[in-house]
Parts: sequence; structure tokens; C-alpha cells
Amino acid sequence: MKVIGVGLIAALLGATASPAAAAAQAGTPSASVIALPPMTTPDSGTKGNESLAIAWQATQLIDADLRQTAELMPLTPNRKDYYSSPEVTAPTFSKWRDRGAKALITGFVQQRSDGRLTVGCYVYDVDKGRELGRTGFVAVPSDLRRAAHKCSGLAYKAITGSPGMFDTRISYVAETGPADARVKRVAVMDSDGFNHSYVTPGDTTVLTPRLSPRGARLAYVSFQGGVPQVRVVDLDSNQQRPLVPGNGMTFAPRYSPDGSQIVFSMMLGANSDIYVVGANGGMPRRLTTAPGIDTDPSFSPDGRKIVFESDRAGSQQLYVMNADGSDERRISFTTSAYSSPEWSPDGNLIAFTWRFGDTRRIAIINPDGTGEKVVTSGPADEAPSWAASSRELVFQRTEANGRPAIYRVSLDGSAPRRMTIPQDGSDPNWSGAMD
Amino acid sequence: MRKLLLITLLFAVPASAQLPGLRRREPQPPVPVVSTIDALRADFAAQSGGATVYFAPGRAQLTQQARTILSAQAMWLRQHPEVAVRIEGRGDPTDTRDHALALGAERAAGARDYLLLLAVPAAQVSAMTWGKERPGPPGATTIIQELSGPPLIPAAR
Repeated sequence: MKVIGVGLIAALLGATASPAAAAAQAGTPSASVIALPPMTTPDSGTKGNESLAIAWQATQLIDADLRQTAELMPLTPNRKDYYSSPEVTAPTFSKWRDRGAKALITGFVQQRSDGRLTVGCYVYDVDKGRELGRTGFVAVPSDLRRAAHKCSGLAYKAITGSPGMFDTRISYVAETGPADARVKRVAVMDSDGFNHSYVTPGDTTVLTPRLSPRGARLAYVSFQGGVPQVRVVDLDSNQQRPLVPGNGMTFAPRYSPDGSQIVFSMMLGANSDIYVVGANGGMPRRLTTAPGIDTDPSFSPDGRKIVFESDRAGSQQLYVMNADGSDERRISFTTSAYSSPEWSPDGNLIAFTWRFGDTRRIAIINPDGTGEKVVTSGPADEAPSWAASSRELVFQRTEANGRPAIYRVSLDGSAPRRMTIPQDGSDPNWSGAMD
Repeated sequence: MRKLLLITLLFAVPASAQLPGLRRREPQPPVPVVSTIDALRADFAAQSGGATVYFAPGRAQLTQQARTILSAQAMWLRQHPEVAVRIEGRGDPTDTRDHALALGAERAAGARDYLLLLAVPAAQVSAMTWGKERPGPPGATTIIQELSGPPLIPAAR
């Protein structure tokens, strides 16, 4: 009965709802409008006021998260829309339908006696008037941002079906100084730009930081020993070690989806092949044997396949093989160069750098080699890395002044957006969602 | 457009044994090392026809011109056994990071192998790659003054 009633209201309001929806969607064709009233608190008195201030902060964090996406567009939170504590689990939907919202996020913050916060949030389908999901955390106050990111991720997943990328990290190489004496440092930040920190001091050239799936560890290439070598660093303890012992040249590391292995390239003489080794060490196992340069390996999300680039046939092309090195198959066959592939977290696509002459663009291709599509216009774009959502990429764009910057681009066809970072940046890499 | 590969000269320095802190030493007179190394570099480049060899875009095969220069460099190196050289391979700045790195290494390894083939002792020649880091000046044919090698080390000769 209730469901039918809601359906009737929706039908009656359909005419008024659609113009609002159309207006809100004018800028971003596919964005869903999300109602985001201020989060509330069950606390009362002075404590209640404090809790409300924290709840308002959390609301604004969620607003900022959702605004970063191409798929969701939050209505600006308005204090007039404040729900009381019991109403967060029994909200009214009609006014949100009027404003063209597809979904509603409500939530609360409660201060506990131990100084921590309880944060809860709920996502509703406004049209159907039913709950799509809920999540809750007990967190120290300094983790409020992460709790808000988790609420944003809940909403993103409920509406798009893809995991959110709000509680993720991005690593990149921060660059300063003139072209012939660049100072390069590995930097790590949360994907919203907060918690920016440097991992290496800048006394030696570093390249290609690659985060472990949960963002706790990082593999990168350092010139510290004279030749490029992969090093692994634990981001909590800052303890470092070479990935493999010895003086050989190792590069292009990437973690396996479960974080237990690292696949990388090793140069022996004039030949570069792909190897795999345990993330905590062990004996590297050789996976490719062809002459020429085999590099930039990347696991499929089920860990069973590896995509990599090879110039064995003359120009750089993409190949897919089983994780044990068997059954190598070439998947790209044009006169363009195909390089730096990365398999999407949902397994459906491979992003790569498309190169023709001096032009570099970001492109995607299906793992079977069909459906090739260029997603940026260049002329100097490279090094794509997937968001956990598999709907967005971060990449390096060398701008007209010759300086590299970090951009992100959604696969929906909207224009790439420049990320705000303290210096120039190259070699970006996006982690999966953190625990 | 041709791509470059640099050969950087540096001295192989015998470590001088010092016992620190036992006795106050008079400061040593400054050694005019920089000019010595610059002179050596200039001589090396002049006698060899260049300190840089070039490759076709995206390729690591030595050209005939590269072989000619490397042969002359090998002769010079055999006459100067006290000088160690480091070959710095470079890739195309419009290449992607890792392929440029590997291509630079491939080029440097090829040049080193050729020098060893011409009887230059292995200990005298090391090889590394910068990939597309530290690009050389575009179109330059002589870049001996532009070398961005390691810090010059005082030589005890």
C-alpha cells in the first residue's frame, strides 16, 4: 500500500520535477542530483551545539566529495532543511522530488563519553522512498574526514553501482627546479588533496610511485644506487628496502590486486623482461623472455592475467598473458604506439597512453583488444591510473609551458580537470579504497 | 630527430686513507681539478669526434656514425687507463616514462658492449640510463660543456 502511495505521488509530481532536474543536469549531462540536508545529532545542550558543528563539517565534506564526481551533483546543503535526530531514518521525500533529487543522504554525529564520535549515514532513493543503504562508524575526531568519505562512498555506490574513490590515496612525483636539474620527490595525498606529505627527501631522482591496493605501502623507482631500482616503503613506519637485492636495474613496479605480489621489469644487458616477486621479498620469477623491451605490467583485478607493453614487434603494443607468463597474446594492432597500460579495478577496461608521432593521449581499450577509444586530447598526456570506481582516471599532462601537472578525467566525456597540488606533478597513481 | 646518448667522464679515485681527528692537518691547497677534467673532456671529445652518439628515434642499434665515434673513444680510453667513463643513456622525451628508461639502458648497454669489444677494460666503463630525465639540449651536436654528470671529485694523480 505504502509503495503504491509513494508511486502515485511521484507520478503526480513528475511534471514539476523534470524541469528542475533538467536545469540541474544542464552542466553535466549524466549527473544525478543528490539531496544533502545538514547532518544532525541526538546530543543536546552545549554538547548538542558542538555536535551540530561537527555534523555540519561532515556535511560539507560529503558535499565536496560528491562535487568532485562527474556522476553525482549534490544540492547545496541548507540549514533550513535540517532534520531532527529521529527524522534521519524517516525522512520526507516530496520536497526533494520537487527539487529534482534522485537520492537523499541523511546522517548524524554523536559525541561519545570516551571522546570518540559515532557517525551514521543513510542513503535513500527519493523516487521510490526507500532506503538504499546505511553505514556507521565509531571514529576519533581526527578521522571525521574519512568517515565522511565513507558516507560519500556509500551514496556513490548506491547510485552508480561502482565503489567510491573518496577514501583513497593518490601518489605522484612532486617536481621543482629547471628541466636539466629537476628535484623529484615521491608525494602522497588523500584523493581530495588533504594530508599531503612527502615520502622521499628530494636528494635523488625518483619515478613512478605505485600504491599498494589499500594505500598503506608504496613501490617506486629511485636512482639512489646509480641505476634505477625499485624500492618499497611502508607509509606508516617510513621503513624502506630495495625490492630485490643486487645491482640490477629494476623499474615499472605494480602491486597485485591482493597486495601480496609486485610485478615489475628488470633490465639484463640490453633486454628488459617482466618478473614477479612477493611484496615482502623472495625470489623473482621471470614471466617474459622475448627480446626487446617488455615493461609496464599491470594485473587484472582477479589476479589471473597481466597486461604489459612490448616493442618486440617493432613498436610498442599491448599484450595480455596469464599471471604465470603463459599464453601471451597481442591485443593492439595499429601503427600507433600503445604504452603504460593499467587494468581497471572492475576488470572491464585497460587504460593506456596512446602515442602517434610526438602526440600522447589517454585512451581505453577492452581486454580483448576491441573498443579502443581516446579519452583526452593531448598533446602530451600520459601515465593513466584508475580510480577505484573504474569510471575515472588520473593522468599526467605536460602543459604548454613544458611543466607536468596532474589531471583527472571521467569516462563520461566531460573535460579533464586539473588537480590542485603544491608543485608540478608527474606519474600519478590512484590506490583502491582504504579499510 | 636524433636522440642522444652521453658519455660522461669522471675520474676513478683511489680512496686516500686518512685517520680523522688524530692530528690537526694543514688545509690542503686547492687542486685545479675542474680544469683538468674539463681539459680531459675536451680532449676526449676532440679526439673522438664527439662525446655523444646518436640513435634513430625509438631505436637502440648503433649507427655507422656511432660506431666510428665509439671506435675513436675506445682508442682514447685505452690510452687513458686512469680515466673511467660513465655512459648515460637517454630516451625520447615524448616517449612514456618506463619505455624511455629501458630504451636509454638499451642504448647505453649497446655502446658499452661496443667499447668492450674494442678492448676497453670493463672496469673503465659503466653504463646507466636517465630515460627521459635530464634531457640533453635539443639538436645539440656537441654537449661536452652541458654535461650534468656527478660532482667532480678531486683527483689524486
